[in-house]
Amino acid sequence: MAQTLAFMALAARASAHDMDLAALSVAGDRNAFGELVRRHGGGVRALLRRMGADPSTADDLAQDAFLAAFEQIAEFRGEGAFAGWVGRIAARLYIRRWRREARMTWGHEAPEEDAGAGLGEAGANAKIDLDEALKRLSAVERLCVSLCYGAGLSHAEAAAALNAPLGTVKSHVKRGLDKLKGALVAEPSPSPQERAYHG
Amino acid sequence: MVSKNGGDRHFEAWLESAFDEAAVFADADLFAFRVQDALERNWFMRRVLIGALGVVGGLIGGAQLVRSGLVDHLGAVSGVWRLVNNDLISLPVERLASEVFGAGPSTGVEVLWMSGAMAVIALGLFVTRALREF
Repeated sequence: MAQTLAFMALAARASAHDMDLAALSVAGDRNAFGELVRRHGGGVRALLRRMGADPSTADDLAQDAFLAAFEQIAEFRGEGAFAGWVGRIAARLYIRRWRREARMTWGHEAPEEDAGAGLGEAGANAKIDLDEALKRLSAVERLCVSLCYGAGLSHAEAAAALNAPLGTVKSHVKRGLDKLKGALVAEPSPSPQERAYHG
Repeated sequence: MVSKNGGDRHFEAWLESAFDEAAVFADADLFAFRVQDALERNWFMRRVLIGALGVVGGLIGGAQLVRSGLVDHLGAVSGVWRLVNNDLISLPVERLASEVFGAGPSTGVEVLWMSGAMAVIALGLFVTRALREF
């Protein structure tokens, strides 16, 4: 009987809308929040990796972001997607760590890996996914682009979060977009299964 | 189409959707379990802290009550009521004064019982809360 009830509760949570799960979480239902983590954990972890965090740091920060989200869940009003809301919390945590580690330099840095021959010349048939393309950007460009297009921050919000001049952020975004455009082909990106992370 | 940023709006829209695309991690369940486990741990620690503070608060409160002489005051009040119930007027003045104001301090055994009982109640609440968490 207890098992049946537990299974029914599990099934109800699995089919519930994010807002309903958030409302249950506000009431202290940690299992409901666990379902939200199951749904959006991948997105937050991927966002942090795309911002430039190494996998273990990304996972730690994603965990911290979800714990912080649980504490602040009453503030989630459902105006936007839950994933975006947690993503912004995670992005701010990453920026805080980044700034603490004094890695913030606003110069023109080299990309994380050698881009080799211009990716724009790679040919229209080349399929390079976003994660690979982001590696062609400098750390700051990558961070700015991820903040604006991944975490959904406006340029002004990103500048405020980074404590950087708005114009500087805009130019990093512009340069990053140009590099990405050169790297990515306008073909449908691979399915999530094809792009599955391992670790 | 050109965006406000001066860029290609189509490309930017594509980029946003690429970022939104659900990423599948092989250890997604493990990650969710880790987060939920951390939540449970935090929650448990919080309950334990509240319970422990309750015990300490109960002991301090009990000690303060005892030290404030509440037992003595209660004894005096009960002495007054006893006088009212008996025929107050019929008592001689000397006897009346001694009954109302002459209530001596309570015995050490009373104090010990009272503080012990409060501590037991506080501990009981703490243990009950702790057992519920397991």
